[in-house]
Amino acid sequence: MSLEEFETQLRPVFLAALAGDAAAYRRFLDAIGGRLRGYLRQMLARAGRHEPSEAEDVLQEVLLALHLSRHTYDPASPVTAWAHAIARYKLVDHLRRSGRHAGNLPLDDEAFQLADRPEAPSTEARLDLDRAMASLPERTRGLIDRVRLQGASVAEAADAAGMTENAAKVAIHRGLQAMAKFLSRRGERPT
Amino acid sequence: MQTNELISLMSASHRPVDTGWLRRATWLGALCALAATAGLVLLTLGARHDFGRAWLTTPVLAKMLLGASVAGIALPLFQRSLRPGLKPARRLPLVALPILLAAGWALLTLAQVPAEQWSTLIFGRYWRACLIAVPLYALCPLIVLLLLARRGASVDGPLTGACAGLASAGLATVAYALHCPDDAAPFLAIWYTIAIASMTALGALIFPRFLRW
Repeated sequence: MSLEEFETQLRPVFLAALAGDAAAYRRFLDAIGGRLRGYLRQMLARAGRHEPSEAEDVLQEVLLALHLSRHTYDPASPVTAWAHAIARYKLVDHLRRSGRHAGNLPLDDEAFQLADRPEAPSTEARLDLDRAMASLPERTRGLIDRVRLQGASVAEAADAAGMTENAAKVAIHRGLQAMAKFLSRRGERPT
Repeated sequence: MQTNELISLMSASHRPVDTGWLRRATWLGALCALAATAGLVLLTLGARHDFGRAWLTTPVLAKMLLGASVAGIALPLFQRSLRPGLKPARRLPLVALPILLAAGWALLTLAQVPAEQWSTLIFGRYWRACLIAVPLYALCPLIVLLLLARRGASVDGPLTGACAGLASAGLATVAYALHCPDDAAPFLAIWYTIAIASMTALGALIFPRFLRW
């Protein structure tokens, strides 16, 4: 699928998601996630890094960044360009943090265009996100585990934790924010 | 955690998203910062003595117009620079337009008088005050824009900073026009432009430190 076709398919889905359609949002994340996985694997391979688990780590960081920056999307612009710019920013950040000079990387759009087949997640990530999870407060962690492991809806998880659905969504949102912050500080030496 | 689980988690806690917030917050923030800066100028320096007579004259309006147009061009670019995937840098040269107009007007003014009067027209009475006051007052809108920028997702810190510096200097120019007693066009074209340029550089320099995400 060419980038234009992908954009034409993806944009209405994302617009529906922004209006509040959670199922559309899930479809969007699955589709863009597959595409970004290919992009990140290619770019990391060019930097001499062939571990798929590293690509999966960066992908999770990028997905988290997309999620937390949804409000920065301009509905009049291509959603693939928005996602690509975020992925690229996080990739450069990742390379810089892990001690590789990003300046001589050919960070062009080519790889994004080339990655036209969504790639399956063949490996697990290297636990970076789990480490980020461990830094969350107990209550938020319980909530998140119930949703992600047991496949509970937020309403069910909120019920079990004795809170309202809205409060649970806010708590999960804060948890995701804290995890993103944790990830972007990872690797920085305390001075 | 597997990527699948992360996606489930994010879509389960998903809520409707307001994509217009950044734009509205930028304009509202800029208006509030302008009001605050104008208040600060009036409180600390006071309006110029002849403000009642002078506020509708060309020089005062020209100062305000210069500041307002620089801010009016820079603010949308600032707002767009907080949204990944847009390329607002291409329109940044537009900011030069009002400044070039002011420069043209200044040259025209200088051409019409003998050279002995040039230094009076250029330096006026308070060029140092202008050079210090505009950047100083511009710190107020700059801080507002910095806080706002942290709510966005800038992938180009220096660009966001330069736009914020331009906008805040523009707003400060409007506010300082309430006080500034020098009315010659060459004065306006030189000292205000230097003040605006220095805020642009300051923004481009300091913003990247605060905008990592």
